[in-house]
Amino acid sequence: MMSKKLLWIFAVTAMMLFAVLNVFRKGEAETPPPLSVHKSVAIDSSKCIAPASFMRANHMQVLYEWRNSSVRTGNRVYIASNGSKYEKSLNTCLGCHSNNRLFCFNCHSYANVKPKCWNCHLSPMETP
Amino acid sequence: MKKVLMPLVMVALLALVPFVGVQYAGLSYLFGVIIPYTAIVVLLAGFFLRLADWFRRPVPFRIPTTCGQEKSLDWIKYDRLESPAHFWEAAARVLSEVFFFRSLFRNTKAELHKDANLAYGSHKWLWLGGLAFHWSLLVIVLRHSRFFFVMVPGLTDFLDHADGFLDVTLPTFYITDAVVLAAITFLVFRRLNDAKMRLISLQTDYFPLFLIAAIVVVGVLMRYVVRLDIMPVKDQMLRLVNFSVDDPGEIGTLFYVHLFLVSVLAIYFPFSKLMHAGAIFLSPTRNLTNNSRQKRHINPWNAEIKFRTYSEYEDDYREKMKKAKLPIEKQ
Repeated sequence: MMSKKLLWIFAVTAMMLFAVLNVFRKGEAETPPPLSVHKSVAIDSSKCIAPASFMRANHMQVLYEWRNSSVRTGNRVYIASNGSKYEKSLNTCLGCHSNNRLFCFNCHSYANVKPKCWNCHLSPMETP
Repeated sequence: MKKVLMPLVMVALLALVPFVGVQYAGLSYLFGVIIPYTAIVVLLAGFFLRLADWFRRPVPFRIPTTCGQEKSLDWIKYDRLESPAHFWEAAARVLSEVFFFRSLFRNTKAELHKDANLAYGSHKWLWLGGLAFHWSLLVIVLRHSRFFFVMVPGLTDFLDHADGFLDVTLPTFYITDAVVLAAITFLVFRRLNDAKMRLISLQTDYFPLFLIAAIVVVGVLMRYVVRLDIMPVKDQMLRLVNFSVDDPGEIGTLFYVHLFLVSVLAIYFPFSKLMHAGAIFLSPTRNLTNNSRQKRHINPWNAEIKFRTYSEYEDDYREKMKKAKLPIEKQ
């Protein structure tokens, strides 16, 4: 009975040690890349990054991925499915799409979806 | 395990029907207009007819199940909720059942221990799982009202906000999506886990669980994984709400799977144990007041009894009684 209890204590301690070590190792590996490797390309709003049907359904996930990868790993280059490169920026989209001030708001108010983009960014409604 | 597998296969087949129908046969009108209307008509008519049927059944006796002091003399305190004497107390009891599953909170479990002792213990898991399941479903259904109104009601906005409170992932992760899936998983495994439960569980117990699980899974897929354009979806739902029979626009096939499974659920509803949703309000053991001591309840089925009063008897035999010199009350 006693040895079984001891075995448990050993097992749990070993697991905790392993977990703690793993956390430390992960911390070492995940230092942010130096600023010099941050990539970016010029903003090009002349053509869309994907077909409209895809963007209608998936724009939020594209923008979410853009935000996370550009802010957290510094990679600001998006490579579209046809190989062309775009700057991961709202300006890439709004450079053209802000010609209609209601471009975002029409559908978002219709579907009652409130995006958090405009908590920080200027929306097409707010720009002159 | 046929009674578990059969409903599973049925739900899988039902999910396949609209997928094939819309993707390969182009039957979007059938699955987007005809079947939803049929389903809602069957649901409403079936629900109403069954409730009307139950409502018309006479309830001749007071049969509330009580577990508290009955109202009797004024100086004896009675239990208003456990032994309701007035309508509002009974109503409160039914509503506490509806909203909080009060009687399930008292659920116990019997266990036969190794030393052959039968032990009863409190067992709240079913109560918790059921409550999580029903409340999540309610919130999810109310959240869906954003598809049915042009101007979304404030309650929907509030629920949407509260449900997406964690503010992770995009589209925002809803807590109820996870809770309902966890609860369904628990409710299925609760039936599978225990030999007694396996024995008393029927296909009709598993089918609605699997069907609702399939609806939730397809909905979750559409929201977080296989995105589809939401604009024509709302167009179509607004058309349905406005009794329009126009052709649905270009909508992703998964939406039709979702809608068809919901239609199946709606059609299945009035014919199945899911009617407990309405029946809970008509349960005589729950909704009757326990007031037999204050009010005499007469069974309406009692045959009418012909009484013969003494004066009638005397009327019939007056002359004979006079001759026999018997005393009579009326000359």
